[in-house]
Amino acid sequence: MPRGTDFDVIVVGAGHAGCEAAAAACALGLRTSLVTIHLETIAQMSCNPAIGGLAKGHLVREIDALGGLMGLLADETGIQFRLLNRSRGGAVQAPRAQCDKAAYRLAMKKRLEGMPNLTLFQGIVAEVIVTGGTARGVRTVDGAVLRGKTVVLTPGTFLNGTIHIGLRSYPAGRANEPPSVDLAEQLKTLGLGILRLKTGTPMRLDRDTIDWPSFTPQPGDVDPVPFSYRTRTRLENKVLCHFGYTNPETHAVIRRNLDKSPLYGGKIKGIGPRYCPSIEDKVVKFSQRTRHQFFLEPEGIDTTETYINGMSTSLPYEVQREILGTIPGLDKAKILRPAYGIEYDAVSPTELLPTLETRKIARLYLAGQINGTSGYEEAAAQGLMAGINAALAVKKKDPFILRRDEAYIGVLIDDLVSTGVEEPYRLFTSRAESRLLLRIDNADRRLMRYGRELGLIPDGVWQEFMERQDRIGQVMAFLKKTRIRISSGDRVSGFEYLKKPEIGLKDVLEYGKFPFELSDEESRTVESETKYEGYIRKQEREIAKAMKSNSMSIPGGLDFRVIPGLTREALEKLENKRPATLGEAGKLPGVTPAAVQSLALHLEILRKKGLPKAPVPRETGRDDE
Amino acid sequence: MLEDTIIAIATPPGFGGLGIVRISGRRALAVAGRIFEPKSRSAKPFPVRRPVFGTIRDPGGGAGLDEAFLTYFKAPRSYTREDVVELSVHGSPAVLEAILDLGTRTGARLARPGEFTLRAHLNGRLDIIQAEAVDDLIRSVSLTQARISSRQLGGSLSRRVDRLRDKLVGILARIEAGLEFPEEKIRTSPEADGRSLAALADEVERLVASFEAGRVISEGVTLAITGRTNVGKSTLFNALLQEDRAIVTPFPGTTRDFLRERLVLDGIVFHLVDMAGLGRPAHPVEKTGITRGRKIAREADGLLVVLDASRKADPGDAKLLKKFRDRKAMIVLNKADLARKIDLPAVRKEAGSNPVLEVSALKGTNVDRLRTEIRSFFAPGTDRESEIVLHARQRDSLRGILECLRRAQGLLAGRHSGEVYAEEIRSALRLVGEMTGEVRVEEVLDDIFGRFCVGK
Repeated sequence: MPRGTDFDVIVVGAGHAGCEAAAAACALGLRTSLVTIHLETIAQMSCNPAIGGLAKGHLVREIDALGGLMGLLADETGIQFRLLNRSRGGAVQAPRAQCDKAAYRLAMKKRLEGMPNLTLFQGIVAEVIVTGGTARGVRTVDGAVLRGKTVVLTPGTFLNGTIHIGLRSYPAGRANEPPSVDLAEQLKTLGLGILRLKTGTPMRLDRDTIDWPSFTPQPGDVDPVPFSYRTRTRLENKVLCHFGYTNPETHAVIRRNLDKSPLYGGKIKGIGPRYCPSIEDKVVKFSQRTRHQFFLEPEGIDTTETYINGMSTSLPYEVQREILGTIPGLDKAKILRPAYGIEYDAVSPTELLPTLETRKIARLYLAGQINGTSGYEEAAAQGLMAGINAALAVKKKDPFILRRDEAYIGVLIDDLVSTGVEEPYRLFTSRAESRLLLRIDNADRRLMRYGRELGLIPDGVWQEFMERQDRIGQVMAFLKKTRIRISSGDRVSGFEYLKKPEIGLKDVLEYGKFPFELSDEESRTVESETKYEGYIRKQEREIAKAMKSNSMSIPGGLDFRVIPGLTREALEKLENKRPATLGEAGKLPGVTPAAVQSLALHLEILRKKGLPKAPVPRETGRDDE
Repeated sequence: MLEDTIIAIATPPGFGGLGIVRISGRRALAVAGRIFEPKSRSAKPFPVRRPVFGTIRDPGGGAGLDEAFLTYFKAPRSYTREDVVELSVHGSPAVLEAILDLGTRTGARLARPGEFTLRAHLNGRLDIIQAEAVDDLIRSVSLTQARISSRQLGGSLSRRVDRLRDKLVGILARIEAGLEFPEEKIRTSPEADGRSLAALADEVERLVASFEAGRVISEGVTLAITGRTNVGKSTLFNALLQEDRAIVTPFPGTTRDFLRERLVLDGIVFHLVDMAGLGRPAHPVEKTGITRGRKIAREADGLLVVLDASRKADPGDAKLLKKFRDRKAMIVLNKADLARKIDLPAVRKEAGSNPVLEVSALKGTNVDRLRTEIRSFFAPGTDRESEIVLHARQRDSLRGILECLRRAQGLLAGRHSGEVYAEEIRSALRLVGEMTGEVRVEEVLDDIFGRFCVGK
């Protein structure tokens, strides 16, 4: 065996999922290899030059609380920062940053190169080596063989990727980059359910040919909020974004050319994300609107490339030019990269366990867009979890699974694995039942101890976390003890006072003397914990109740056919998936609450029958009935 | 689930004029103590197995509901082996239901069908039951549940709840869109949300009130009696009710009004509506009646399509049968006392899967059989106790929904942030889901993306 080809974890694809997976496995002390088609495109942001936003920003914080890289790098390479929903409550506030794409790539590559256990390798993986139903390594197109105890596949949109511009198409995983064909075919032969999905990306324009005064500037925050708990430097806004609108002329051009669109012309069958509609989708679906908004976002400091957000399209190049011509300010803009649509294979995520390991092939993990998600953050979160779990498997330790009420990462993976996808999945805060509990301000409280237990959080970071909790605890205690006289003359506790929507923490802290000052983030935590308190308690009670019944375990050999009241679909699902607990059973599509109840009753009966009967008191006199 | 304290009506109605409400569980004694006031103070603490006389009273105040006997069975010497309290009252359904209501407001929850027996078994009380019998028990529990949950609630009620659901999804979608896409300038105003919430809350309040008025135990099943002129609809109407409500004269077109009466068959309430004959109006005055009649037929839960068996079928009859073939309808061939001229096999064929029955409304032939068929065809698998329970459960859900909406209104008015009152609306939707089937987040997302052009 040639030296340097034997690994614990092999990660295929160095996108956002792959980088987090490799970094995590590495941090856990395992020999890791990260294999990718081009080392230059490590951590390439394929679409918009931004990280974060609602729900996505929440994910980045959670990734950071578990020691992942995305937040740190977004802070390092960010060129404009905004905290969304500042005027609303803490649960729906989320950070967003425009990043310098080139800087992000380089920063990630540098970090990865600096990791002791990590070997980067440039190669196109042609197949996963599978023997005896277990993944054992990978083989590249040029014949290199790498052996690994676990394999994490994160090929993004490269599996059988086909790019469409107008009615022309060519195979590619990203513009002008070769797709992954052999691997895609192998996954089919391994019996994994395959979906065909589509997405798109807009044009890149030359900054110097745009008439900027035609558009409205959008500056960053005065006090930028960092993503990472480890960021020490003060963040700076270096660029402005702008926005503008299409107009009826634009829409007319689009409508005239719909037959040249691969989707509307019938050439593409793949299902696209309705959360990321192309401009032709928007014009068709919302035909009554006279304008649609777009944003002009710089792709970096040292480049003129400008991303036009909101104008994803797969119309032909000439039509793209025509579209630009209808918008004052863009009529002279040069297109540096045309917009395009891309179709690609994905694996149905119901093939996966909650650890992201496939059910059919042991030690094979899938993460990122291959699982039918869209978004860098969704990919990174999955990559992190897959990397951690692959490492834990090698170490023969228990897997790491987050619940829906603990993290958006939990919501994401549970949605994927339990429900599956029909179109590219994007995370929204409304997908979380416990939205008020899952906030950016408490990502550390929720997750850092897991990160610490796993060994992903260094001492310094942990120490700071403890100090933060201590300060927050002191302030909360102060709030509960302090009495404040309010306008009506009554005296209420500081806690009650802070619950009023118009009152902020600063207003209450005036009443006390503190040896320290709370950071903005800590203030946000105190405010959220206070203002949401009633709901938080209610949700915690409901979670406890659900956990109790969900954790009822189903004996491995149970014959589901003896349970009455099950539909055929429910029976099939139960027999195929063999859920281990009642909670898992309830998540299977087709298994209704009534079926769960039947199952629960049956389990209860089995349980009682298994116990030795307590001596029955002799009944004298008539018991009724 | 098994730790809750449950309450249910233990007796079928009309049993010696008494009804028994049974409470079983850890809090049985506490619940009973709150809603029952013994006549003599010294009766508390309640003795075991000796009936105590007193009054059922709402702990919130007000006149007594009914006189009652309370009997306390201390665990494990009770039917379920848990603490059990039984309240015996006069068997009026309104009182029984009111007691259930009081019970659920003071710490108990409505028992599922068969749940008492199930607990008895689980607690080892019924150890004569063999494994197969246990399965039968569970089978009957889950089948009854399945039947009850799939039963039509009564057309207009389920329609109102469906509308409620749609409106709630719409309100939530608007709020969520504003939260999820702050950069895309969704025009929502808290004032507009407030108005929508207010209107919705009022609607729910009206729904709750119609339950609480106790006017009808159950919405019941609306049956429209329809057919051409002079087939004997009114005679049939009277025959079913055994009363002379409608004016029956031999001349066609004499039923000018819509007569609506309750017919109670084995515990289920049917609302019979007798309509003007569906045919060409001879007099202009009848035309409005016919339009209203069509509306009633459309909205009814089921139909009795009456044909005159003593006439040969004409195209109009075939058209009628075809029209109602996809509805839940029973074909009644009337005038069986006369010689049959209608082509019976052809009628059966046209009727499709709907049942066909021959009767003579005038002579009363087969009318009893018709009643039985109506009961089993239009309201299969339900019984009185389940009706009351189902009814009470719906009312509880609606009350819960109303509370959520009122709280949401309060939060909005108090200028709380959108995600806070969104929680109340989400809670309301979970409760609606109990009545109409779970509302999944995809539904809300669908609404957002259908309504707003968002997403970059």
